[in-house]
Amino acid sequence: MATSSPVPPPQPATNKSQMNPLPPSVFTLPQTAQLEALYTIIRSKETSRGDFLFYSDRIIRLLVEEGLNHLPVVKKVVETPTGATYEGVGFEGKICGVSILRAGEAMEAGLREVCRSVRIGKILIQRDEETALPKLFYSKFPQDIASRYVLLLDPMLGKGRVPTGGSAIKAIEVLMENGVPEERIIFINLISAPEGLRNFCGKYPLVKVITGWIDQGLNEKAYIIPGLGDFGERR
Amino acid sequence: MTESDWEGLVVSSHTLNLKWIQESKTMPPKLDTTGLQIKKNTVLVSHGRPPWYDEAGNRISDAFVVGIAGGSGSGKTHVARQIVRSLGSIPSVIILSQDSFYKKHTPEELAIAHANLFDFDHPNSIDMDLFSACLKDLKECKQSNIPVYSFTTHQREEEGKYLYGAAIIITEGIMALQDSKLRDLYDLKLFVQCDSDLMLARRLKRDVAERGRSVDGILEQYLRFVKPAYDNYVLPSQRHADIIVPGSNNQVAIELICTHIQRKLHERANHFRPKMAIPHLYQSPSGKKFPESTLEELQLTVMPKTRQLEGIFTILRSKTSSRQDFIFFVDRLSTILVEHALQFLPYADKSVITPTEASFAGTTMSAKHVCGVSILRSGGALERGFRRVFNNVPMGSLLVQSHGEHGEPLMLHVMLPVCVRQRHLAEEAFVFLLDAQIGTGAAAFMAIRVLLDHGVKQEHIIFVTFLVARGGGISILRRAFPRIKIVTGGVDDAMQEGWLDSYQGQDGRQVWAMLPGLGQIGDRYYL
Repeated sequence: MATSSPVPPPQPATNKSQMNPLPPSVFTLPQTAQLEALYTIIRSKETSRGDFLFYSDRIIRLLVEEGLNHLPVVKKVVETPTGATYEGVGFEGKICGVSILRAGEAMEAGLREVCRSVRIGKILIQRDEETALPKLFYSKFPQDIASRYVLLLDPMLGKGRVPTGGSAIKAIEVLMENGVPEERIIFINLISAPEGLRNFCGKYPLVKVITGWIDQGLNEKAYIIPGLGDFGERR
Repeated sequence: MTESDWEGLVVSSHTLNLKWIQESKTMPPKLDTTGLQIKKNTVLVSHGRPPWYDEAGNRISDAFVVGIAGGSGSGKTHVARQIVRSLGSIPSVIILSQDSFYKKHTPEELAIAHANLFDFDHPNSIDMDLFSACLKDLKECKQSNIPVYSFTTHQREEEGKYLYGAAIIITEGIMALQDSKLRDLYDLKLFVQCDSDLMLARRLKRDVAERGRSVDGILEQYLRFVKPAYDNYVLPSQRHADIIVPGSNNQVAIELICTHIQRKLHERANHFRPKMAIPHLYQSPSGKKFPESTLEELQLTVMPKTRQLEGIFTILRSKTSSRQDFIFFVDRLSTILVEHALQFLPYADKSVITPTEASFAGTTMSAKHVCGVSILRSGGALERGFRRVFNNVPMGSLLVQSHGEHGEPLMLHVMLPVCVRQRHLAEEAFVFLLDAQIGTGAAAFMAIRVLLDHGVKQEHIIFVTFLVARGGGISILRRAFPRIKIVTGGVDDAMQEGWLDSYQGQDGRQVWAMLPGLGQIGDRYYL
């Protein structure tokens, strides 16, 4: 990213309650009471599907807005309808979304509300029962993905069997094989487990991770706790 | 009992000369009430209500209250309507009928009422406490939810009627001058004097024609209730009146009354928009100039300047942006703003169990009532963003327009959610007030005053806007309402004075534009 940018990019998160030290590539949303209230709704098992959809969409929008702030901008001077000139900034660089199936798809609507008509690629990664490692089953990207910034979407980081964070790591691997530089990938998720973050950031320290909340950890079934259950199922 | 229009019997040929009103430039907007459908218990709004408060946010004056008493059939309603018609130039008026305030009846009273044996002409049949409480609220420019009385069921209905915003209140009823609590509220007390035989003739004609009653029945009721009540209560109350109005051929009296009311209203008129728009250019009454406020003094909650926010503003400010882009980025910006404004709602601790059976100690929004109110037209541009954040709260609107001649804000339409209409709910409600920008601040000022009139607490008003002009009306707004929250996307420095050329026969007038500004957001979003 340009160093002489007219507006500085977001600063690393200061919330370190669940994870200290926080990897420098991790950014969280401001942990305000109103954000906590949103999470309280989507975490509760009593919450209806309609409310889960509405409130998780709101968090996704906030996360995408935060993620977009890492994209570069350039100085731009415009004339206003009152005839005055205004020194602002213009967005620089093309973007695309990539959702990790199945749950990542649920974040696409929120992405499109913020980035109108953005192109969206898809990746399906599942566990290979023979090797017990994540395996790419399917991928479909915009042809020029190598020249775009990629917003990688998966609601939960760290869920699932060992190695935790494995499918996100595999997704980055696939993106880089398709020519996307590591530093041009922004990974967006609602909740992450410290183990998952540690594995992921250890492997790809240049990928920006935008996470809404860092949870306590994983239970014996490898579910994030307190978490919110299976994101895809609840949508 | 209900009055009807006495057009059939009263010789009415009023051709008032309204020329003196039209010649007066400083009068409130001209309008023609002569063709107006004059309904009772409804706020009749003509060309809008001019400011009823001063630049400190305080009410300048109460509504002007006229009480009209007189016997049944004397022509009170007719006099009230003639006054409304003849006033010619009025912002908003209501004719409040005593009939709405009949007491709730017990089952025994109901049976008597249905047998036509209930004495509706006795002062005790009227709920004077409620009557005067409602009138007092209206006089003080607060809202009132008056009762609705049904003559078919002879009972007060469950749901009341919401009234707000009348500059003139005309109260009419046979007992209108009866109670001292009511009398204390009147600015002008009228008694309509009419001969008993004429009143009986009108009553007979009306009840036979409109209610299908028999002459015998009407006469029996007249002799049993109406006449004694008139002699014992109604007629003696005329000693409280300022003016005795004849029950027929009363055009001269009405003209005199209207002249008096006009003069009183004129004394109360106030014009303060020019001073508000660019406050530091004007002298305050004490002769001291308003210093330009610093950002800290204005206590604005300005969105953190991020790359995306700057980029969005650049697109919105550019005059070459397409309409499609403008709408999309307005919606996106308003969503971000409303999300940011949520910090001003109260939150309480709340623990939940997640589907993984873990517990999460979180928070929940704890306001009892939340609603949105947009200041039309340009405040409507924030509605989609508001709805993306609140899918289940009521939404109201206020239509404030600048007067074509002198630029004063005029309240044209008030449509508020129930949680604001009801005073006891309004006192706990949090209201998001939406408008595209605060320039002169005149519309914002008026909207905030409306909410305060309804009992909403200042600290519960969260004003959400794209842009504030630091050199504009915001400093007066902040001084008048120090505790409201103002959340804005950005702050512009200047207000530019300009002149709007005459348009469709209207005179040109002074306008103010923000610099660098966003242009006319309403036009760019809607047209």
